[in-house]
Amino acid sequence: MRGRRPGPVFVTLAVAAAVVFATLAAGFTIQRVALSEPSAATFDALRTATWLSRYRLTASTFTVDGGPTVHGECLQDWFAPGGHRRRGAVLRLDDGLVLLDVPPHTLVATGGTAAERALDPLVLLELGGCTRVLQRRVETLAQQRRGLTMSGNRLSFALKGTRISMTLDAQKAPVAIAVSSRHARGSSSIRFERVTAAIRRRISSDLPGYGS
Amino acid sequence: MLTTLEHVEALSVPVARGRTAHRLRLLAWIATWWAIGRAAIVLAAIVVHRFGPSGWIRNVEHAHALGPLAAWDGKWYRMVASSGYLMVPGRQSDPAFFPLYPVLVRGGHALGLGYSASALLLANLGFFAALVAFHALTRELLGWSTARRATMYLAVFPFGYAFSLEYPESIVLALIAASALAALRGRWGLAAAAAAAAALARPEGLFVALPLLAIAWQQRNELTPVRRGLALGAVLAPAAAIASFSVYLASVLGDPMAWSKAEQAWGRHFSPLGVVTAIEGLGGSFAHDAWVVRDVVAVAVYLGLIAVAARARVPWPWLVSGAAIVVLPLFSGAFDSIGRFGLLAPAALWGLAALGRDPRAHRVILLVSVPLLCAAIVTLPLRYP
Repeated sequence: MRGRRPGPVFVTLAVAAAVVFATLAAGFTIQRVALSEPSAATFDALRTATWLSRYRLTASTFTVDGGPTVHGECLQDWFAPGGHRRRGAVLRLDDGLVLLDVPPHTLVATGGTAAERALDPLVLLELGGCTRVLQRRVETLAQQRRGLTMSGNRLSFALKGTRISMTLDAQKAPVAIAVSSRHARGSSSIRFERVTAAIRRRISSDLPGYGS
Repeated sequence: MLTTLEHVEALSVPVARGRTAHRLRLLAWIATWWAIGRAAIVLAAIVVHRFGPSGWIRNVEHAHALGPLAAWDGKWYRMVASSGYLMVPGRQSDPAFFPLYPVLVRGGHALGLGYSASALLLANLGFFAALVAFHALTRELLGWSTARRATMYLAVFPFGYAFSLEYPESIVLALIAASALAALRGRWGLAAAAAAAAALARPEGLFVALPLLAIAWQQRNELTPVRRGLALGAVLAPAAAIASFSVYLASVLGDPMAWSKAEQAWGRHFSPLGVVTAIEGLGGSFAHDAWVVRDVVAVAVYLGLIAVAARARVPWPWLVSGAAIVVLPLFSGAFDSIGRFGLLAPAALWGLAALGRDPRAHRVILLVSVPLLCAAIVTLPLRYP
């Protein structure tokens, strides 16, 4: 018995499908073979940045240069210190230090000890776990595929003369931060919290241009 | 006495020699126009390097004479070539840049070139290939004289400065023209490969499917079922190539639509009312950056040239695909970069060639194009292409 030969329409469709499949396979293979892929550390760093991007409030407990332990809260919010509404961060410590950072022109420290005010404000913002400061740096370095080191559960990188090492939990959320610079060294444990209107008022209401 | 076969051989040798000489003369003529346009661009880049303006491009790109040609998206293509893709949610990310050009740049790097040198070399040699393929396609569709004019105009077209930057446009144009040419000559396997490669380099490569479909329809009665399948495959190949990019992104980044999402960080988001948004937002865009006028003018010029091409009996699939290349980006809500996108619409150049039939218009086009081409490079630090 002779088998039926496939009809011309079937042949046409089968060849077209083969061309489409070959294109799909060749395109995928070329990309897979020719392009490099980000390292696991880069993906971990991005997951950490995602955690940082989800929260605007961080509670921290830290010491600097072996000094007393202080508790802090860092809030990312909108401020208008010079009349222009901009995003920034305020770090408030339980010993009275208030640090307002609204790029590009505002960096004000009030209260606290003279030793604290003499510290590089960036070290305090980093130890306080100010989310946007850390998030932007991690994202930038991840995107440039440089400057990020993952060792065990520690993600390390540099930011404007400081060296930061973040300890991550199993979900890659940062839980502790160690910071070192030429003049100071400190470590903190951090916890992300939800912002409520009451917390926002408590942290920011006495600041210049708050809520504008 | 000569036999018939000897007669044929005796006649065909000089014909073949003559054909080769003619081809070489044609290549030399195209190379001359390529050199004229690219020399103007290199000189303008040297002027920018020496005298500014500094504008928005980074110091590193002012560091050497050809640095300005590596600016803007060149950085992203180099990043993909060197490190692959990474999606950073909410930020401008490299999946917005299609993979073929970075793959080729990486190939050049593997041969010992720097990423930037490889990218510049590919773009500029790719443009020579584009001129050759474009001339052949135009000759096939519209005749010798139109091919001659259109190729000259393409070589010095003011928006054509993008062909010399670290951008994939020159390679995509070469592939689009090669794909259509192969289809016209019945070489459907080659047409499929070139069309797929075009779409893997820029999404506009997808629009070559329409001319391919029309050519396949015209040839339908002459094709065997197998060749008909190849032709249909060639029409579908650009979409399959884009799908392969999505599959790759899904495997690496876990998101098949990362390329589309990355576009959103540049303010591009396709919606049915995007054109209305683009036109409504013109006032605000102008107040923010007056350079948007250049892109609005580009849209008007391209659409005007495509209309002229329609009157000059350019085949309708090329008109429709050209209009789609110019108009569809407006649905993303912005006029940005359409001057560059329109370079991939051959119908616009054919419209210009139709205008250039008048000798006075021909002279004006050539006299105006070269200074505008230089001006485009000089203003490169001030506005992205």
